[in-house]
Amino acid sequence: MLLLLVILCVYEYIRTDTPDQNPYLITDYSRLHPVKVDRVVKGKEEEQLVRLLQEAKEKHLTVSIAGQRHSQGGHTYYKDGIVIDMTDYNQVLSVDPDQRQIRVQAGATWEKVQKAVNPYHLSVKTMQSQNIFTVGGSISVNAHGRDIRSGSLIGSVDSFRLLTADGQIRSVSREENPELFRLALGGYGLFGMILDVTLNLTEDEAYRMENEAIKVEDYSRYFQENVLGDPDVRMHIARISVAPDRFLTDMYAINYTADSALPLEDYDKLRTREQGVIPSKMMFSLNRSSDWGKNAFWSLQKLYFTKQQNKAISRNNAMRSESEFMEYGQPGANDLLQEYFIPVDQFADFVHGMKDIVRDHKLNLLNITVRYVEEDREAVLSYAQEDMFALVCLFHVPLSEQGQVQVREGIRDLIDEVEYKGGTYYLPYAAYPTVEQFRRAYPGYDDFFRKKDEYDPQHLFMNYFYEQYKGE
Amino acid sequence: MRWLIRSQSLVTLASGMIYPYYLLFLKNLGNSYAKYGLAFAVFTISSAAFSQWLAPRIDHSGHRVLLVSSLGMMLAMLAFPWVESYAWVLLLQLVMGCCSAMQKMSERLLLADHTVQGERGPVIGSYHFWTSAASGFAVILGGYLIDWLTIDALFYASAVMYGISAWAVWKMRKP
Ligand SMILES: Cc1cc2nc3c(=O)[nH]c(=O)nc-3n(C[C@H](O)[C@H](O)[C@H](O)COP(=O)(O)OP(=O)(O)OC[C@H]3O[C@@H](n4cnc5c(N)ncnc54)[C@H](O)[C@@H]3O)c2cc1C
Repeated sequence: MLLLLVILCVYEYIRTDTPDQNPYLITDYSRLHPVKVDRVVKGKEEEQLVRLLQEAKEKHLTVSIAGQRHSQGGHTYYKDGIVIDMTDYNQVLSVDPDQRQIRVQAGATWEKVQKAVNPYHLSVKTMQSQNIFTVGGSISVNAHGRDIRSGSLIGSVDSFRLLTADGQIRSVSREENPELFRLALGGYGLFGMILDVTLNLTEDEAYRMENEAIKVEDYSRYFQENVLGDPDVRMHIARISVAPDRFLTDMYAINYTADSALPLEDYDKLRTREQGVIPSKMMFSLNRSSDWGKNAFWSLQKLYFTKQQNKAISRNNAMRSESEFMEYGQPGANDLLQEYFIPVDQFADFVHGMKDIVRDHKLNLLNITVRYVEEDREAVLSYAQEDMFALVCLFHVPLSEQGQVQVREGIRDLIDEVEYKGGTYYLPYAAYPTVEQFRRAYPGYDDFFRKKDEYDPQHLFMNYFYEQYKGE
Repeated sequence: MRWLIRSQSLVTLASGMIYPYYLLFLKNLGNSYAKYGLAFAVFTISSAAFSQWLAPRIDHSGHRVLLVSSLGMMLAMLAFPWVESYAWVLLLQLVMGCCSAMQKMSERLLLADHTVQGERGPVIGSYHFWTSAASGFAVILGGYLIDWLTIDALFYASAVMYGISAWAVWKMRKP
């Protein structure tokens, strides 16, 4: 008995002795690139942050800025540098119901924002599907979500204050320091520390959820006519089947349609508990581990969403979607996101091309959701250079070096296909694409890095996003 | 005696499985260690207070007390995933404190009742061995379960074990 227990312990030690599980190294949601940093400091006050920058400069240390660290490419840390964790710098400074604006510190999560604005029947215009991210981290990647009427997040940012490398705090908006506005939004923490942000809000509304099954070939037309073409539809998300029986052919869409007959007061209590995490997580494990599981998961998912047909939900509740059931913490492997932006009319062709690439490279694709982003070229690194569908793909990947090499090859082929269809890809995730692919997808790169040198000549603000994509 | 060991191994299995993770769970509730300390103090103080009430009563109802303690813990484990305020956590800590007093005291009582002076060593040794071994096994299992599912699943699993241990205690009364 004792021997058995000792053996069990030794086995556990070996099983969990992978770099991604090393508690003395730091990494992000991806658990890729674990490194040692000088230290992690919690941001608490403005003066403290200014002093930290000063100290880093004197000691020639780099500074990386971290929110919830849900980016996946080492955007929030750098070897031997200081990491400033902004999650405690999270106060709601003011809500102005007349102007429909909120001012928050950058470490506040969307959840906190929602709590603050819900009593005023207000709501965030654009954010991710989930509310777990920080405002600072979200505007630094220029996030987007289910709302189809408000563009990407940059569109709802009124202004912010930025602590730049020279130790100055600048007000940044479309009028003041407009250049920094376009650089720091979607700037991945390379132009300074965003201290607080003023966001424009919209009204909270009651929506009716409608589901529809569609084929990949019909999706673009369906979307333009029935979704975009119907002014009452405010939010939309679709899923593409990854089940082998229906591999990248079947889809279903969920539309959130405003319905003035629904009294908002009946639905606007914020949901705080995630429903059914345990069964969903079990199902998702099956989806991860076998083809059979993928088929079963797709059928169940469809059943679940059909059951939600015509259900009413408030906008704020629709913007706090489940996420816990997808969490995965096993050593040596992880579920990683990649996201491709494809021009609306190229959608079916792209998905078709994707099929072979995923199969040839034996990528374990767990999930694809589709969102819509309107053309928006305001940020220097903007991804929606025309009206695009965003295909968010979740892959189950090994974290070993060898396993990663294979995944990288597959992803690069996918990016070639993306490029061929006139698309781009999203930058908060692992930097599998090559520097050349990056440059072709983001023609603003040159400007971006040149300005980086101008605003931060000593490269005080540093992270692996810079290192991987700067190139020479 | 066998049933006592069985039931108490299950109790240690159930508590050993949840305990370290429960500590993490508690720590995440309050941002300060002071708040965490308070939650713990409530547990120990209620346990102390309850023992005083229990002391004169326990001699003749060791089994029943053990049974109630297991059932109480089962209910607490079922309740935890649904708790949404710190006050509720304190309340559950209080309940668990009482259960712990019942469990510890009646366990010792029964151990003493079922053994004779001069021959206690081996029995206590075997008792300790099995309960501790169960505990070691349980924490490892608990880690797996949380990784695979969620901490809530662990609370439920632990509740099931407390339930089974209650059944084992109940069984022990009828020889
Ligand atoms: C499960 C999951 C689902 C997702 N869904 C979506 C989605 O639906 N839509 C979407 O657009 N994205 C989505 N993302 C991506 C997500 O929006 C980004 O990873 C986002 O950056 C996460 O916010 P965060 O608080 O974790 O930021 P972090 O990852 O901590 O930081 C991201 C970047 O912002 C910088 N930064 C953070 N705070 C500041 C600050 N105060 N000042 C300056 N720079 C700062 C960091 O240096 C870093 O470069 C998803 C990611 C995951 C893991």
